[in-house]
Amino acid sequence: MELAEKIINGERAAIAKAITLVESSKQDDRIESRKLISQLIDNPGKSIRVGFSGPPGVGKSTFIESFGSYLVGKEFKLGILAIDPSSQITGGSILGDKTRMIEISKNPNTFIRSTPSRGSLGGISNGTREASIILDAAGFDYIFIETVGVGQSEVVASNLVDIFSLIVGPGSGDELQGIKKGITEYADIFIVNKNDGNLKIEASKTAADYKSAISYYKKNEDSSSKEVLLVSAIEQTGMDEVINTIQGIVLQNKKNNSFESKRSEQLKFWLSEEVKNIMQLNIQRKIDKAGSIGHFSDRIINGDISMYDAIETITNKLQNE
Amino acid sequence: MTDKFRENFGNWQKSFEKETKQSSVKANSDTDEGIEIKPVYTKDDLKKLSFVEENSLPGQWPYTRGPKASMYTNRPWTIRQYAGFSTAEESNEFYKKNLESGQKGLSVAFDLPTHRGYDSDDDLVMGDVGKAGVAIDTVEDMKILFNEIPLDKMSVSMTMNGAVLPVLSAFVVAGEEQNVKKNLLSGTIQNDILKEFMVRNTYIYPPEPSMKIVADIIEFTSKEMPKFNSISISGYHMQEAGADNVLELAYTLADGMEYVRAAMSKGLNVDNFAPRLSFFFAIGTDFFMEIAKLRAARTLWSKIMKDFGAKNEKSLILRTHCQTSGVSLTEKDPYNNIIRTSYEAMSAILGGTQSLHTNSFDEAIALPTDESARIARNTQLILQNETGVTKTVDPLAGSYFVESLTEELSQKAWEIIQEIEELGGMTKAVKAGIPKLKIEESATKKQAKVDSGNRVVVGVNKFKNPKEPSVDVRVIDNNKVRDDQIKKIEEIKGTRNQKAVEKSLSDLTNAAKENSNLLAYSIEAIKNRATIGEVSKALEEVYGRHFATSLSVSGVYGKHFENDEDFMNVKDKVEGFEKSNGRRPRVLIVKMGQDGHDRGAKIVATSFADMGFDVDMGPLFQSPKDVAKDAIENDVHAIGVSTLAAGHKTLVPELMKSLKELDPNSKMIVFVGGVIPEQDYDFLYKNNISAIFGPGSNIIESAEKVIDLISTNLE
Repeated sequence: MELAEKIINGERAAIAKAITLVESSKQDDRIESRKLISQLIDNPGKSIRVGFSGPPGVGKSTFIESFGSYLVGKEFKLGILAIDPSSQITGGSILGDKTRMIEISKNPNTFIRSTPSRGSLGGISNGTREASIILDAAGFDYIFIETVGVGQSEVVASNLVDIFSLIVGPGSGDELQGIKKGITEYADIFIVNKNDGNLKIEASKTAADYKSAISYYKKNEDSSSKEVLLVSAIEQTGMDEVINTIQGIVLQNKKNNSFESKRSEQLKFWLSEEVKNIMQLNIQRKIDKAGSIGHFSDRIINGDISMYDAIETITNKLQNE
Repeated sequence: MTDKFRENFGNWQKSFEKETKQSSVKANSDTDEGIEIKPVYTKDDLKKLSFVEENSLPGQWPYTRGPKASMYTNRPWTIRQYAGFSTAEESNEFYKKNLESGQKGLSVAFDLPTHRGYDSDDDLVMGDVGKAGVAIDTVEDMKILFNEIPLDKMSVSMTMNGAVLPVLSAFVVAGEEQNVKKNLLSGTIQNDILKEFMVRNTYIYPPEPSMKIVADIIEFTSKEMPKFNSISISGYHMQEAGADNVLELAYTLADGMEYVRAAMSKGLNVDNFAPRLSFFFAIGTDFFMEIAKLRAARTLWSKIMKDFGAKNEKSLILRTHCQTSGVSLTEKDPYNNIIRTSYEAMSAILGGTQSLHTNSFDEAIALPTDESARIARNTQLILQNETGVTKTVDPLAGSYFVESLTEELSQKAWEIIQEIEELGGMTKAVKAGIPKLKIEESATKKQAKVDSGNRVVVGVNKFKNPKEPSVDVRVIDNNKVRDDQIKKIEEIKGTRNQKAVEKSLSDLTNAAKENSNLLAYSIEAIKNRATIGEVSKALEEVYGRHFATSLSVSGVYGKHFENDEDFMNVKDKVEGFEKSNGRRPRVLIVKMGQDGHDRGAKIVATSFADMGFDVDMGPLFQSPKDVAKDAIENDVHAIGVSTLAAGHKTLVPELMKSLKELDPNSKMIVFVGGVIPEQDYDFLYKNNISAIFGPGSNIIESAEKVIDLISTNLE
C-alpha cells in the first residue's frame, strides 16, 4: 500500500512517518514530500484547524490537555501539532509538551506530534503546514496547532489555521497597550486561562481589558467576530463556550463564504512565503559565493568606503549576475 | 592573636608554597556545595562562628553537639535496617531473623502500588506489584507482616507518604487485633509529602489536600498515639536525586517549617506535636561535609523552632535517622560499596545520628540478599562494639575545620531557607517547581563531574577492576506475587460485610468534603476490610489525582565539556547524522509503571539534548501501551527506558509487544538504563533490547553507543 493510502486509512505509524518526511531537510525527502502532499491535497478531509498561541508559562499545553479531553469525550478525533521552542545553543531540544498532556496522549482518538521549532522565525517549523494537510487527510475532526507566542510568530501561525486563538493569563491586560495591532488583529478568540482560585477576579478583569481593546477592531472589520472567553484548564471550566465559539465562528464564516476565502488567502500567503524562502536562500547562496560582505566590511572599517556606497556596489554586482 | 601564632602561620605558608610549588595557598573549591575547603584551618576560623555556639555542650542549645548530654556513651544509636520483600510473609520472616541477630527497630519498605494507593489487582500497576517493597492491599496483609512481632514492644518505622492514611490505619488496626491499644504503638511514619513533589513522585493528591492529610495525622497522633512519630521530614531522597548538602539541608528544614505551620493551623500548640517530629538525612561520601551537615541541621532547627515560639526543650531538638547513600553505590566492582558504606556510617555516627540504616553492597542492582544484609548490619555492629566511637560524645567538636564547615553550611542553608520563606513557604515553592529544578541542576552537575573524570569514582571512572566479580542477587517473580495478592483480595472481598465497607467509604468521602480529620474515618474503613486502593479512591473523588508538570534544565551538562574530545565527537556525529538523514536523532526517554524516581531519566534527557539529540520526555507513570503510542506518533529513532524498581521484566516485553502492534515494521531501537541485575541482561536482549546501561554508566559513551546503533539500524 502506498503511504498516501495508509494515511487516508488513518494508520498511526504512516501518519507519523509522513510528518517526518515533510519536516526533513534532506533533498530527496523534499521531492518525496511534494509528491505526497499533492496526492493528499486531492483527498481533503473535513478538519477544522485551530491555532493556540500565547506566551510561555500561560498554560497552553495544560489548556490543550483539558480542552482536548473535553473534545475526545464528545467522540471527536483530535490531531495536535505542538511546536516546542528548542534550545539554540546546542541545537538539540527537550520536547516536554506531552508531560502536560497525560490524559489525551493515551486516548486512541488523538494523535500528538511535537516538533522542535529549530529557532525558525515565527516559531513555526518547516513542514507544519504540510503536517496539517496530512492530519486532515487522515480524517481528524480538529487539528490543533500549538505555538509559542513570540511577536512575529502570530502572522505565520494565523495563516496555518481557520481559527486563531491566543491564550493569556490573568493580569496580562496591562500589557495590552504594548501589544498594539499585531496580535489582536490576527486572533479570533482570546482565551483567558487560570480563571480559578485566587486568580478569578484578576482573570475577569483581564477579560474585560481584552474586550474593550478589541471593540475597536470589531467596528472596522464587520466580517470577523472576536471573542474573549474565560476558562480554567485545571478545573476544566469554560470548555463548552470555547467549542461553541469555535463552531459558531466556523458556521458564520461558512455562511458568508469567508471560510473558503480565508483558506484561499492563506494559500496566497504560503505561495508567496515559499517563493520568498526559495529566493532568499538563492540570494544568500549568491552572497556567500561572491564573498563581498567580508571584503567590503573590512573596507568600511578602514574608512575606504561608506556603508551606503558599499551596499549599492554589492547589490548592483549581484543584480548584474 | 599572639605574635607567635602570626609568625607560625607565616612560616607555614612559606613551607606550604615550597612543598606544593604554588605561589600562594589556594583553597579547593570543588565541593558540590560551592564551599571552599582550605588546606589548613586555625583558631582564626573560629572567630567567624555565628550560628555555632562555642561554649555549648552536648544536649545544650543550640544542640550542635547532639540532642542528648550522654549520647552513645549511655546508649548507642539504633540499628534500623529498612527492608521489605514483595510479600508480607517473606518480609515477616526477614524481620524476625533480623531481630534475632541484634537489630532493635523495624523499618518497612512498601511496594510502589501501595505507595501510590493502588491495589495489586489494578491494571495500572501490572509490572510493579511486589517491586521495591512489600505489597499491602488490606489489613490482613499488615497482620501477616507483624505476625509474632509484639507491636507494643517493637518500634516500627514505615516509609509511606502517598497512601499514608490507609497504611497508618492498617497499622493501627493490626495493632488492635493483636490486642495492642493505639496509644502503645511506637515508631514513625514518614508522612513527608512535600519531598515527594520534589523528587520521589510517589504522591497521590495535589499539594494542598496532601498537606491537609499530613496535618490530620500530626493532629490525630499528638492526641491518640503519644509514642508515635507523626512525620519523618526527609532530605534523604533529595540527596539521592542529586541535591548537594546545602540544598538537602535547606529544603528539608523548610519542609519542616511548612509542616509545623500546617499543624499549628489546626489549632495545635507547637509544643504538643513538635517533640514528635523526626528527621531523615542521607549520608554520602563527602566525609566531613556530612558530619557538619548533621551538626548544622540541629543548630538551625533549634533556631527555627524558637522563632515558632516553642517553649518545651524537646521541641527545639532535631532528632534524626540516617541512611547511607544509595546513589553512591556502584554496579561496577560492587564490593567497593561495603567500604563506601562503612565510611558513610562513620560520618553519620560522628555527626550524632539517633538511628542508622547501612545499605547492602548489592543495592545498586537489586534488593539485598540475606548475606549482603548481614554484612550491612555487621558494619554497624563493628562500629558499636569494636571501634570505640561510642566512648566520647561529639569527638570532633572544637576541630577548627569541622566547626567552620558546620558554620558555613548553616549560613548557606539559611540563605536558601529565607528565599523559600519569601516565596511564601515550601508548598508554594513546590507548586512552582523551583526546588525540583534546583535539585535537577545539581544532579546534572554531579553527573557531568563524574563523566568528565573531574570526580573520581573508584572502579567506575578510574582504577577499574579488570575482572568484574559476579554477584548473586535476589530474584523476584513479580507475576506470582501479583497473582497471590489478587487471590487474597478476592477472598477478602468475598467474605467482608460489603454494606459496612461502602458506608465507611462514603463516610470518608464526606469527611473529606467537610474538611474533617480523615484518619478516624480511614481506620473505620480499613477495619471493615476496605482495601488500600478503595480508601485512596474514596478521597480521590474529592481531591483528584495529582499529575506533575515537568520542567527541564538545559546546558548544565554540556558546560562541563566545552573542550572535551569525546563530547565533541558525539556532537559531530549528531550533526553528521542530521546532514545525511534530514533530521536530528530523536530519542524518547520514559519511565513506566509506578516508579517515580526520575533523576536518571532527567539527567539523560538534558545531557543528550546538550549533545544535540532531540529528546522527547514522556510523563511519569505511563503504561507500555502509552509509551508505544507516544513513540510511534513522534516517529522517534529510539526509546530509552529508565527503570529503578525492577519492573523491567514485565514492562519492557509489554512495550515491545505494543510497538509491534502499532507498527509491525517498526525499526525503533529500545535501550534500557538504571538498576538492572546482570542476570536479567539475557532476558532483555532476547526481547530485542539493543543496549543496557547500568548505574554509573558514562553518559557520553552511552550517547555515542545510541547514535551508532541508530545509524547502523537505518542503513
